[in-house]
Amino acid sequence: MNTTQLSRRQLLQSAACGFGGLALSGMVAGMARGASPLAVRAPHFAPRAKRVIFLFMAGGPSQGDLFAPKDYITQNHGKPIASPVGDDGQLRVGVAKFLPMAPVAPVRPRGQSGLMLSDLLPNMAGVADELCMLRAMVSDNKAHAPAALQFHTGHIAEARPSMGSWISYGLGTENENLPSFITIHPPGDVRTYSASFLPAMHQGTPLRVPGNDREPAIKNLRDPDAKTEAQRRRLNFLQGMNQRLLKRVKTDAQMEGIIQSFELAFRMQAETPGLVDLSGESKETQEMYGIGDSKTDRNGRACLMARRLSEAGVRFVQVTIDGWDHHGDIRTALPNSAGGADKPIAGLIRDLKRRGLLKDTLVVWSGEFGRTYWSQDLSGTSPIAKHGREHQQESFCTLLAGGGVKPGLVHGETDDHGYRPVSGKVHLHDLHATLLHLLGFDHEQLNYRHAGRDFRLTDIFGNVVHDIIA
Amino acid sequence: MVFGAEKTHWAFKPVANPKPPKVHDKAWPLGDLDRFILNRLEQKGLRPVAESDRFTWRRRVSFDLTGLPPTVEEIRVFEADQSPQACEKVVDRLLASQAFGERWARHWLDLVGYADQIGTSNNVFAEHAWRYRDYLIDAYNNDKPFDRFIREQIAGDLLPHKTVEERAANLVATGFLVLGDIEIVEADKAKLHVDIVDQQLQKTGKAFLGMSIGCARCHDHKFDPITQGDYYAMAGFFRGTSTVYKTKRGVWSDVNVIELPETEAQKAERDKHEKAHADRLAKLKGERETARKRKAELDDQLKKKDLPKEERGKLTKERDEKAGCIVKLDKEITHAEFFAPSVPRAHGVRDVEKPGDMKITIRGNPRALGKVVPRGFLHVASSARPEIPQDQSGRHELADWVAGRDNPLTARVAVNRTWQKLFGEGLVRTVDYFGLPGERPSHPALLDFLADRFMREGWSQKRLIRSLVLSRTYRLSSAHDERNHATDPDNRLLWRMNRFRLDAEALRDAMIFTSGKLKPSTGGPALPLEFQENVSNIDPKNVNPPSFSLRKWRPGQEFERTIYLPIIRSAAQPGPAELRNVFDFAQPSEFTGQRAITAVPTQALFLMNSPEVKKHVAALAARMKKETADDAKRLEYLWLSLLNRPITAQEQREAAAFLKQAGEGAWSELCHALLASNEFLMRL
Repeated sequence: MNTTQLSRRQLLQSAACGFGGLALSGMVAGMARGASPLAVRAPHFAPRAKRVIFLFMAGGPSQGDLFAPKDYITQNHGKPIASPVGDDGQLRVGVAKFLPMAPVAPVRPRGQSGLMLSDLLPNMAGVADELCMLRAMVSDNKAHAPAALQFHTGHIAEARPSMGSWISYGLGTENENLPSFITIHPPGDVRTYSASFLPAMHQGTPLRVPGNDREPAIKNLRDPDAKTEAQRRRLNFLQGMNQRLLKRVKTDAQMEGIIQSFELAFRMQAETPGLVDLSGESKETQEMYGIGDSKTDRNGRACLMARRLSEAGVRFVQVTIDGWDHHGDIRTALPNSAGGADKPIAGLIRDLKRRGLLKDTLVVWSGEFGRTYWSQDLSGTSPIAKHGREHQQESFCTLLAGGGVKPGLVHGETDDHGYRPVSGKVHLHDLHATLLHLLGFDHEQLNYRHAGRDFRLTDIFGNVVHDIIA
Repeated sequence: MVFGAEKTHWAFKPVANPKPPKVHDKAWPLGDLDRFILNRLEQKGLRPVAESDRFTWRRRVSFDLTGLPPTVEEIRVFEADQSPQACEKVVDRLLASQAFGERWARHWLDLVGYADQIGTSNNVFAEHAWRYRDYLIDAYNNDKPFDRFIREQIAGDLLPHKTVEERAANLVATGFLVLGDIEIVEADKAKLHVDIVDQQLQKTGKAFLGMSIGCARCHDHKFDPITQGDYYAMAGFFRGTSTVYKTKRGVWSDVNVIELPETEAQKAERDKHEKAHADRLAKLKGERETARKRKAELDDQLKKKDLPKEERGKLTKERDEKAGCIVKLDKEITHAEFFAPSVPRAHGVRDVEKPGDMKITIRGNPRALGKVVPRGFLHVASSARPEIPQDQSGRHELADWVAGRDNPLTARVAVNRTWQKLFGEGLVRTVDYFGLPGERPSHPALLDFLADRFMREGWSQKRLIRSLVLSRTYRLSSAHDERNHATDPDNRLLWRMNRFRLDAEALRDAMIFTSGKLKPSTGGPALPLEFQENVSNIDPKNVNPPSFSLRKWRPGQEFERTIYLPIIRSAAQPGPAELRNVFDFAQPSEFTGQRAITAVPTQALFLMNSPEVKKHVAALAARMKKETADDAKRLEYLWLSLLNRPITAQEQREAAAFLKQAGEGAWSELCHALLASNEFLMRL
């Protein structure tokens, strides 16, 4: 065994009832039913993937620059064209004329598969043959907040359970000592990792890579000013009072739940730091993720943390990497964003592969939408060299890897303007259905009864995209 | 859809006026309510448990009515008052306190999706949202009749009025319809409009009628007798209602801002503010002019080629200072001009110029239209057709129907919501849903009795609450009873009081209150937008709307009651409001009449480690130390303050031993332990 790597067994020993206190958070409900609500549950059929890592590129990366150049666009760079959008009722700001804009850097075929990737993603180009590229993804809203909400929950406006919560609800946890859904550097909108009406222990636990010693990975995980024995003494006193009260009222699920939650919390604060401490990882591994290089350090640590958590049995780990909202000067901004994300992500895929985890870990890379192939100029006066691109949910690119999808595959195509899908259209609901399918679920059967009716991740929509499944 | 249900489903039948049933134990009931409860218990052969002790009742009624614990002084007064009116006196005082409205307004806000933010995108501030929050607090404190409360919130702008204050309140009340999560960045404005209509209809349906009407947007309701026709008949009232307008910035819309009429006194006050503002602005502009002139001079001097090095350095330094000064003044002036005093304003609705009926939108697509549906009410609850003036949206008629005595749902839903806040569970446990798959009432006759009396007594919330908390049923202890438990484990028949954990507001407020730091508030803006550092994008040329970023708080704001702190949608709740994030606060994008109560370790971590709780602990310990030097007395005081009951002899011994062991900081440790104890966290 690689000694620098935290094994499942070690983790179980060290974190017995530790971190996972969070996972047991639904113990009130659990006790009432006499079983842990996070106990491992079998899916509907044999799964291809056991867990998911979702790399969320918040802001909407430009697919035309990164993955799917269009000849028509490149040939007509900077020349006004007729409106390709028709009367769709959408206001467009900074698009006085439709000006096609060529990719800001060369995009080339890579690896055996010939998947197209930009020179801005040299490391990801090296793992091109592991990727499955959906080039005709579609979702329903053009604004960040509703689009991000829909990507996570299936719904653009109402708070519904996040997909990580659904998966936690469906599968339980592989590791009773860890939450089953962790979101690293989460998006601001807490609804993106909310369990909504699902039991609370399925909510995402936010985690940040600590920037210094006083800052815990999970909020309030410890009190840097408190001594452990003093805290324990305080806890003993408090639990003594709690027990006396409980004895008086004989039975009370809420009280018992709170009593347990304190014990779990106390152990968590002692045990979790080991799990999130990356110093035990080899130099070579750290380098592979870009740790130590100021440009990639933060994302590299987040991606490595994602691998460690997945390895330890967390069902759904999300890493959010933002900075893709390039309305202006995309020529300068996109290389920066791509540069910060490329190595950590490629490192993660390589690392999963060499550890044998990629085959049953589904990696999803996506923004909440993509961007237009024509330019946007909010100032109205800039030269095209300084233009950016507008949001586009009518079509965009999502990458998948591992977890039972066909590697090196391109699925779907859009028209010459890179605007409307012409084949292989995959709506977000279809992606959700496919994701659940790979995990062994019939998305129509993974239901939860709330407010008098059954809800599911895909609402009343969703078709599994069988063509991309290996 | 279930046909015929309008005739058979209990919630659609007219509210009856049942007579209180006979009971065997005639001494037990204090009033009619108790007769209904005891009758059911006796039928099942159950006996209610004994009354709770006076300390528990005092704490319970205080939290339920005001969201705050009683003070040590109040507990002692009550303990000494052995008169038969002692309880009534307490209840009347609590109902008359400002804290009552501060508590109950928050319950209502949960149904509104209220935030101090417009939508969720880009931190757009809802500058005037607080007026609606203050309106609610006043409405509860003035015991505004609930039917009136409904009419104002649905159609305040269309109601007749006698005074300026009344008109202003009516307009503010319509904030109900606009202060949810409205996606003002939606680029398809036709879609934005139909989505807003949908939200207003859902909110109205849920808050007042306990129905989920939204499903019928695309198809007839699967479980309830609500057709697609019903949906569009009701939606028509909101189709003719203007909620948002397109701004000059980018694709952005914004929620309507309505100018409010002023009283003479308000106007005089504003004149004063305007004068002070004009003076300040003139002063700032003067300073800027001086700085500009000086900078121009310096620029000129610096153009000379033969300046000595030292001189050049000195002049450059001064020039840079002036330049910095000008930038600072520019910002200050822009901010001052943006937030110049003005007539009072609120977010609200008005009728559109050409109201009318609505067409079915197929799957909510505003460009796929079906037939026109004339405006009307849910057919299950009414056969009447409204007569709507041609130039109006019809919200007035809608409000009259919702708030009418013939509506079978409204009073039942309202009474049940109040019951749930006081007893932990509703008589109908699905408080937001009275439809067919919803729960049936545990005490249908009692629900009707209360609903009928509520309407007959002028829809008075205070009278309703008063009668509930002065009942024997409310006095019951929450103690366990093996025999009752075996028959009725969920306590549906109310053989004891339900116990529950305090909600986020009550918890935080109680911590501040007991540490003696609570700062009374008279309301007003929650977001401290008066600080420049909290505001960006106010430059009108910006393509994005003005927005907030909370960097600086007002002095003392952290010690105000939680209802006065800003609520935002785009991120976790900020600063002193952080506790909301872990203790099941209602998401400000949802409408919900009852919050979840969870027990998760993130809560325990918050109570053990958060700087926020540690701050309250330190203040509490300091207060205890100031109170008395005698340890035993101090312990008595601490127990009375936090748990609102006398300390027992055993607890005295254990606490003394703990203090001795804990050494330095022992009182903080003890206070910290108590603030995290179940007895503090829960209301028994």
